[in-house]
Amino acid sequence: MKKISGARIVIETLIQENVKVIFGYPGGAVLPIYDELFKQNKIRHILVRHEQGAVHAAEGYARSTGKVGVVLVTSGPGATNTVTGLADAMMDSVPVVCISGQVPTHMIGNDAFQEADIVGITRPCTKHNYLVKNVEKLAGAIHSAFYIAKNGRPGPVLVDIPKDIQTFNSVYRGKRLTKRISYYKPNIKPKSDDIDRIVEMLKKSVKPIFYVGGGTVNSGLSASNHLHDIIKKTGFPCTQTLMGLGAFPTSDKQFIGMLGMHGTYEANMSMHQSDLLICVGARFDDRITGKVSGFSPKSKKIHLDIDSSSFNKSVNVDLTVQGDLGAILKLINERIQKKKIVFQKNKIKKWWDQINKWRGKNCLKFKNSNEIIKPQFAIQKLDQLTKEFEPFFTTEVGQHQMWAAQFLTFNKPKHWMTSGGLGTMGYGLPAAMGVQIAHPNSLVIDVAGEASILMNIQEMSTIKQYRLPVKVFILNNHYMGMVRQWQELLHGNRLSESYMDSLPDFVKLAESFGAVGLQITKPGDLDGLIKEMIKIKGPVICDVVVDPSENCFPMIPSGSSHNQMLLGPDDKMDGEISEEGMVLV
Amino acid sequence: MNEKNTKHILSILVDNEPGVLARVVGLFSGRGYNIESLSVSEVDSHKFLSRITIVTSGTKLIVDQIKAQLKKLIPVHDLEEISESKNFLGKELILIKLNVRKKSNIDIKRRLEKFSVEILVDNEVELIIQFAGTPIEITKLLNLLKPYKVIEQTRSGLVSMALGFNYIKK
Ligand SMILES: Cc1cc2nc3c(=O)[nH]c(=O)nc-3n(C[C@H](O)[C@H](O)[C@H](O)COP(=O)(O)OP(=O)(O)OC[C@H]3O[C@@H](n4cnc5c(N)ncnc54)[C@H](O)[C@@H]3O)c2cc1C
Ligand SMILES: Cc1ncc(C[n+]2csc(CCOP(=O)(O)OP(=O)(O)O)c2C)c(N)n1
Ligand SMILES: [Mg+2]
Repeated sequence: MKKISGARIVIETLIQENVKVIFGYPGGAVLPIYDELFKQNKIRHILVRHEQGAVHAAEGYARSTGKVGVVLVTSGPGATNTVTGLADAMMDSVPVVCISGQVPTHMIGNDAFQEADIVGITRPCTKHNYLVKNVEKLAGAIHSAFYIAKNGRPGPVLVDIPKDIQTFNSVYRGKRLTKRISYYKPNIKPKSDDIDRIVEMLKKSVKPIFYVGGGTVNSGLSASNHLHDIIKKTGFPCTQTLMGLGAFPTSDKQFIGMLGMHGTYEANMSMHQSDLLICVGARFDDRITGKVSGFSPKSKKIHLDIDSSSFNKSVNVDLTVQGDLGAILKLINERIQKKKIVFQKNKIKKWWDQINKWRGKNCLKFKNSNEIIKPQFAIQKLDQLTKEFEPFFTTEVGQHQMWAAQFLTFNKPKHWMTSGGLGTMGYGLPAAMGVQIAHPNSLVIDVAGEASILMNIQEMSTIKQYRLPVKVFILNNHYMGMVRQWQELLHGNRLSESYMDSLPDFVKLAESFGAVGLQITKPGDLDGLIKEMIKIKGPVICDVVVDPSENCFPMIPSGSSHNQMLLGPDDKMDGEISEEGMVLV
Repeated sequence: MNEKNTKHILSILVDNEPGVLARVVGLFSGRGYNIESLSVSEVDSHKFLSRITIVTSGTKLIVDQIKAQLKKLIPVHDLEEISESKNFLGKELILIKLNVRKKSNIDIKRRLEKFSVEILVDNEVELIIQFAGTPIEITKLLNLLKPYKVIEQTRSGLVSMALGFNYIKK
């Protein structure tokens, strides 16, 4: 067989992995690969404006399609710029393969020009990484990277390729004949006995709750469909994490809102009072549990997850089942069917009565105004007026993110992309870019804060170049609102460095990137603005000037339990935040 | 919940490739776990596999978490908690150098008789001995040598093995 260059092998392996798009930025150490990219037309390269943007774009692409997102960057600064993105993908379990160039093998360790030990740097923030020192092993490393990224709990994998390896020649025999990783088999088959035990526990419970997380979305449509069946058959209430939103339709009556720090009163109270908690692909994050000792103290707990390190990490559970949720939920659903189990709705009637009482608090209510735009109202309007288009939403990080989670409707999985685990400001715009590339005809909206949007604003240039009709919906409160909220609550209202001075004129900024800029300050103009935004074929930045003082409620102050929520600005904490709570993030 | 901190011996079979030790050690430091002792060496030169023995301590919950996290590392083929088996061996190797210029080394040697130490170097200035044993035996030996001039000592991490045929793969 003919020998081809390492650079060519990179392209051939990507083609075999069915890669259609890569997000990247060139430089000295990857020029041979860029040269090969130039000579082919199967893979589309999207030139970002910052390598962090490339990773977030790949994440958006991956999370909205279920495919692996691919990134290509040069050595040194190109590679180090990806670190935040990789850490983000690691935390939120997003399958990404990042290919980085490296200085030639004989110069590694010499502090060569643009050398960075990226394999060392990214070891803790990737699922795995490779430094390829032999061209014979290049194809195997790349195919293995894809396998690892998407199997088991998904995550980012980096493949570092020295420049000389890109120019050396080797034979590529295709994926099937390439020696790849063979012993990593994370897809464990759930035990049949455990499924029986789960069904028994479901039958017995009088205060059950499904606590659904990002793993359900990750697993794919089949998991969501089986979950839907199970929730319908049981009649049980369901809450979802920030990452899980859309796994089960949020407009369904059995959905009782997001849970956790900014979750609904009814969701958190139900978690606290329940006698059976069924965790479906969530990881008992500290935003969810609050004070662990006060977390759902009376419930038996079932945890379904593909990653055994998620079990008993912060909360002790009674039954764990390891495996892919698609498989586990299918088994449960079929077992219910096969055994002809009918769930008596009156058994949980009292429970629903109680939940509906909690619901009656209407915890997401806010005081609307005719003068000034309330951010919650803006999101409600955005939801109402865009719903029919089944939009994809991304967000930045802050109060606007939480309001988006609380007030938008998510009736389908994979339509909601937000940085949950790392909480990366600057995620939303490039992620929206990636989503739009994958879904060119869909409505893609980044719900942003005026501070976050500036963190990757350079990507407007990418958006211009590829004519991506991404819409940016800025809730401009002139503050790092989430920071200000904590300062009000925990630091005597000393607003240290959280005011956003010297903001750009977002309308002119949009125009300078060939986009349309729209600004409003009055609630009455919201409808018009949103309708116009939808109508415009190209990219739009909406600068929605909102109430600068609004805070995000409900809120469980750090170090508190689910039953100690603050429901609104007039709600006062019982006493001071504990010292323990003060050190929490 | 079992809140007691106890010692645990983990044996980990890994690909013998650059960086694998950094992955394992980085996992411990990054997540705040203890390493009390560590030893590593290649055990299969055909399959390029190394065996790492780590002694760690923590509550059961933490040690379960450590094991689950280790198993997630891609180059980890197999992991066994040796200290979970009923019967297991755990040995360390120590080299001790003594200054014998003043003291008669006959005296030292007599004291060492009940330990199966090996004398590696024996001349008029220094005595270098080698001893392999359990950590407790090694401590005993060191106590015994307290009256003498120990110039330097070096000690390996624990290597450990369970009895029976239910052992770590290959
Ligand atoms: C400002 C801010 C505020 C926040 N407030 C909240 C809040 O109020 N409420 C809230 O919920 N979150 C909140 N978050 C997000 C929070 O930090 C966590 O990211 C989130 O709660 C984690 O969601 P999850 O438990 O669904 O886990 P994920 O991070 O989505 O993890 C998924 C789990 O599913 C497993 N899994 C993955 N794939 C599969 C599969 N195929 N089969 C089976 N299992 C699988 C994984 O192993 C993992 O354990 C906030 C974040 C920010 C930035
Ligand atoms: C990269 C990064 N730096 C700092 C933070 C801490 N942080 C969390 S929210 C926030 C403020 C965000 O402000 P803005 O984007 O205006 O959103 P708002 O809360 O006002 O809606 C900050 C600084 C972060 N999450 N990410
Ligand atoms: Mg703001």
